[in-house]
Amino acid sequence: MKMVTRTAIANMKYHKSKNILTGIAIFLTSVLLFLVPSIGFAFMDTEFTLVNQTYPTWHALFRAVDETTAAGLMAHHDIETGGLRSDVGFFYHENANITTCYMDSAAQKLYKVELSEGRFPQKEDELVVSEGMLKEFGVSADIGDTVTLPFQKYLSDGMDFAADEEFTICGFLPDNEASLKSHTFMALVSEEYLRNETPKEDIRYRFLFRVADADGQTTDEIEAKISAIRESFNIPETGMNINEDYLMANHTDPAFFTAIAIILLVVTAAGIITIYSIYYVSMAQRVQEFGKLKAIGATKRQIRQIVLREGLCTACLAVPAGLVLSTLLMRPILTAFSKTISQVLDSSTNQIYQNIIDSHEISLYRWEFYLFAAAAAFITVYLSLFVPMRKAQRISPIEAMRYQGTPVKQTLRKGYTDLTISRLAKTSLMGNKKRSSFTILSMSITGILVVTVATILSCANPKNGADNNIYGHYVLELNTESGNREHPEREWNNLIQKNPLTDNLKQQIEHLDGVEKVVDFTWLHIETDLEGSEEIGVSGLLGLPESCFPELKKGILEGDASWEDLLSGDKIILNETIRRWLPELQVGDTLEIQTSDGNHTVTRSLEIIAIGNYPYGMVKHNFLLTAKEAADSLLPEDCTGYFHVFADQNYDKTLENNLKELMGDRELLSMTTWKDEYEVLRTFMTIMRSACTAFLAILSMICVMNLINTMVNSIHLRKKELGMMQAMGMTGSQLSKMLRLEGMFYTISTLFLSVGAGSILGYAAFLWAKKDGFLSVAVYHFPFGAVLIVITVLTFVQLLLTALLGRSVKKESLIERIRFSE
Amino acid sequence: MSITVKVQDLVKYYGSGENLVKAVDHTSLSIENAKFTAIVGRSGSGKSTLLHMIGGLDRPDSGKVYIGKTDIFALNEDRLAQFRRKKIGFVFQDFNLIPSLNVWENIVLPLGLDGKKVRESEIEELLVQLGLQDKRSAMPATLSGGQKQRVAIARAVAANPAIICADEPTGNLDSQSELEVVNLMKKCVADYGQTLVMITHDEGIAQMADCIIVIEDGKVVNQS
Repeated sequence: MKMVTRTAIANMKYHKSKNILTGIAIFLTSVLLFLVPSIGFAFMDTEFTLVNQTYPTWHALFRAVDETTAAGLMAHHDIETGGLRSDVGFFYHENANITTCYMDSAAQKLYKVELSEGRFPQKEDELVVSEGMLKEFGVSADIGDTVTLPFQKYLSDGMDFAADEEFTICGFLPDNEASLKSHTFMALVSEEYLRNETPKEDIRYRFLFRVADADGQTTDEIEAKISAIRESFNIPETGMNINEDYLMANHTDPAFFTAIAIILLVVTAAGIITIYSIYYVSMAQRVQEFGKLKAIGATKRQIRQIVLREGLCTACLAVPAGLVLSTLLMRPILTAFSKTISQVLDSSTNQIYQNIIDSHEISLYRWEFYLFAAAAAFITVYLSLFVPMRKAQRISPIEAMRYQGTPVKQTLRKGYTDLTISRLAKTSLMGNKKRSSFTILSMSITGILVVTVATILSCANPKNGADNNIYGHYVLELNTESGNREHPEREWNNLIQKNPLTDNLKQQIEHLDGVEKVVDFTWLHIETDLEGSEEIGVSGLLGLPESCFPELKKGILEGDASWEDLLSGDKIILNETIRRWLPELQVGDTLEIQTSDGNHTVTRSLEIIAIGNYPYGMVKHNFLLTAKEAADSLLPEDCTGYFHVFADQNYDKTLENNLKELMGDRELLSMTTWKDEYEVLRTFMTIMRSACTAFLAILSMICVMNLINTMVNSIHLRKKELGMMQAMGMTGSQLSKMLRLEGMFYTISTLFLSVGAGSILGYAAFLWAKKDGFLSVAVYHFPFGAVLIVITVLTFVQLLLTALLGRSVKKESLIERIRFSE
Repeated sequence: MSITVKVQDLVKYYGSGENLVKAVDHTSLSIENAKFTAIVGRSGSGKSTLLHMIGGLDRPDSGKVYIGKTDIFALNEDRLAQFRRKKIGFVFQDFNLIPSLNVWENIVLPLGLDGKKVRESEIEELLVQLGLQDKRSAMPATLSGGQKQRVAIARAVAANPAIICADEPTGNLDSQSELEVVNLMKKCVADYGQTLVMITHDEGIAQMADCIIVIEDGKVVNQS
C-alpha cells in the first residue's frame, strides 16, 4: 500500500470522531440520493403499470379499414404492433348493450382481452361470452353448450332484423363491476364467422396499433407519427381515434424530472456544506499534523491526496452502508404509500395497485440508481474536500510549529473589566467569528428549508383545499366532451338542446333534506380570437348569479366592475390565471367570442373591465366571467352548466344518494362532492407530508452532524484552555453552564435565522402556491407545530450534546487536560 | 512557626506491574507560611506530581494534604475548585494563558470565577508593578515569553491566594527574564504575605528560596 494511502487510513482511524460524523453525513446523503429517485420512479412505474393494466394499450385506431389497407398498415415501419377488430353486430336485448366482434390475437392483446375460462373462437359457430351477458338472457350455460340468442347483424347499408342464432360457447370473458352495472357486455366470434357472414369486399376493420419506438417519446411526437401514418394511407381524419387516456397516462410530466433534480441538488448541497463544514472546523486542530508532514518532505500533492483519501476511505464505508439501508427501506416505504393511497382508490383499482407492488412487477431496485447514488455521494465528498485539500496544502511547516491552538488574529481587544461565565462564553464564540458564523449559516440553511416547506404543508389544509376547489358541497355539471365522434351526444351544443340541469331538477334538489340552497351557473361553449386559446383551454364563458357578485368584486386585482357592467353583456371579468399563458392581456382589451347551439351562431365583442383571482371551485377552468343574465341572453337554449348545491353539513351519504337518484342518466351529468375532493386532497397531502417530513428529517440529521462536530471540536481544541480555567477554580457546574451557553448561542442563532428567514421565504412560497393552486393552498397558516419541533429537537440535541461533552471532558483528569497539546 | 501546607503520607502511582511508576511514594512534608519554598529534583523524580497534589489539581491514591486546617481531598470536585480559586494561585512553565482573553481578562479570570467584583485600582497597581501597564488590552499571542509569564504571575496573585504554586515558571525564559520573574514572585510573596512553592531545576533560583525540598524517586530526601 502506498504511504499516502496508509497515512490517510491512519488519519481516518486517529480522527475517529470526526470521521464518524463525516461518515454519518455521507451515509445519510447516500440514503437520500438513492431513495429520492428510486421512490420517485417507483411511483411513476407503478402508475404506468396500473394504467397499462387498466387501459387498452393501443395508441390509436383507424376505422373502416379494408383488408388491403390493413395489410399495408401491418407492414408500416412506424407501427410496432397492429391488431384487427371487426364488429359483426349486437345480441339483441332491451336493457343490455352487447357488442359482438371478431378480434385477432394482436387486437386481443392490445385490448387486454383475457378469458377467465376456455379459448378464443375458431370455428364458425363458436362464441365467447360472459356469464353476466348470459344472465341478461336468463340463460345458464357452460363451455361446449349450445345457446340460441337473438342476434342483429351489421349490413353494409345498416342493421339487419334481429334473428335467433345458434352458437357453441368456447370460452368465457370475466365480468367486471362496471359492465354489470351498466349492462354493457362484449361477445367474440371467430374469423371464420366474420368471413362467412360478410362478403369479403364489405369487411371493414378497426385497425388498432402501437407506434414503434414510442418509449421516451412525448405524446405530441407519438400523435404526429400517427397523423403521418394516417395521411400516407389517405385515411380521413374522422376515421382516426387516438387513445388519449392511455397516452396521457403514460406521459411523464417534465416537471417530475425537474422536481427530482431539484431535490437531489438540495441533498447534494446539504451534504457538501456539512462535510465541508466538518473538515473546515476540524482543520484547525490539524495544522500541526500537516505542517509536520510538510516538514518531513510531503509534497503539496501528497498532502492533498492524504486529505482526499481520508474522506474517500470514510465514504467507502459509509456509501455501501447507506445503499444497504436504502434497499431495506424501499419496500416498506412503498407499502406504506400504497396503504395511504388505497383510501382514495376504488376497490378494483386498489387491488391492481396492491398486486403491482406485491408481485414485484415493477423494479424497485434499479442498478442505475445504485450507481448514481454511489457516484453522486463520492462526488459530494470530493467537492466537500476541495477547499480543505487546498487549505491543508498551503500550511507551512513554520506556521505549524508556531501554531498555538485556536488562532486569535486580534492584537488588541478592549474586553471586559469584570468576567462572568456568560462573558467568557461570548468571548470564546467571538474569538472565531468566521467559524461560528459558518456553522450557524450551514445549519440554518436546512432550518430555513424545513420552515419553508413546513409553511406550505401547514397551508395545505385539505379542508381549505376542498373549500377552495368545490363551490358548495356537491356540484352537478354537464358532462360535455368535444370532438369525440363515438359520443356526439356529449357535444355541448347537442347537450343543451335537452339540458338535464332543469329548473325542475333544481327545485327537486332544493327540497331534499339537508340542502340549504342551489346556485346555478351558466356555461357557454365559446371560441375566441385569443392566440392559442384551444391549447390554453379557453372554451367557456361562465355566467354567475348576482349572489356571487360580492365574491367576484372582492377578487378583483386590476380594474373595476359593477353588476350593471356585467349585465350589459359586453363586459367581462378575466380570471387572472389566464395571464400565465397570455401575460399581455390587460384591462381595456377586447375579445371576440363566438358561440353556437348548432342553429344559431352569436358573435360578441367583450371588453375586459377587470382582472381577478378566484377560488378554483367557483370559476373552475373558466377564464371569462360575466353575469348569468348576460350569458343566458346569448342563446335561446337553457345553458345552465353547473348546479352548486350547498348543504347543512360538509357530507351526508343519504343526500349524496338522493342526488345521484335525481341525476338519473349519469352519462350526461357528473357530480363532484366536497367529501371526494377532501379525501383526495387529504390522502395526497398525507403522502406529501410524510415524504417531506422524512426527507427533511434525514436532511436535518445530516446538518445535526455539523452541530455535533462544531461542539466536539470547540471542546477538543480548548481542552487545555478549559483545564486551565478549572485549575483556576472553575467548578463543574460553571463549566457546564459555559458550554451550555455556547451551545445555546449556536442553537438560538440557528433558530433565529431558520425561523426568521424561513418564515419570510415560507410566506413567499405560500403566495406562489396560492397563485399557482399548488396543493390547493388557500389560507396562510404559520407552521407553529413544525417550528416547535425544530426548536425542541435542536435544543434537545444541543443540551444532550453539552451534557455528553461535559461528561467526556471530565473523564480526563485536570492534569491531563492542562498538559494536552494539539 | 505557622504551617501553611502539611503533606501526610502522600502516595501517587501510575501504571501497574512492571510499568508501575511511583511518582510520589509515602511522602510527608510541611511548608511554612509566607515563605518561598523551592522543590528540586531530577526529571521524573515526582516533584511536579507532588506540586499538583499540593495545589489540588491532582488527587492522590492515598494520604492527605492540609492547607491551613482544610483536608483538601476531603472536598468534592466543585468545593475543591472553589477552594483553589480562593486559596491557590498557579504559574506554569508554558504560561497557560487563555488565548481568547486579553491580558486584563486573563488576570481577573479567577476573580470572575469566584463572582468577586474587580477592584480596578488594585489590578492597575499590579500591572504597574509587573510592568504590564501598557499591555492591558493586548492579546496573549502578541506578548513575549517574559511578558506572558508576568501576566501568569499577575493572574496567580490577583485573587490574593494563600499559596502560589509555580511549576518551573522560568523554564521557557531567557536568563534575564528568568531572574526578573523570580524576583517579581518573591516581591509579591513579600508584599502580599503569600506562600510560594516553586519547582525549579535551576540551582541558583533554588538558592534564593527560604526552604529547599529535595525529591528523589517520589520521596523527600532532604528539606533544609
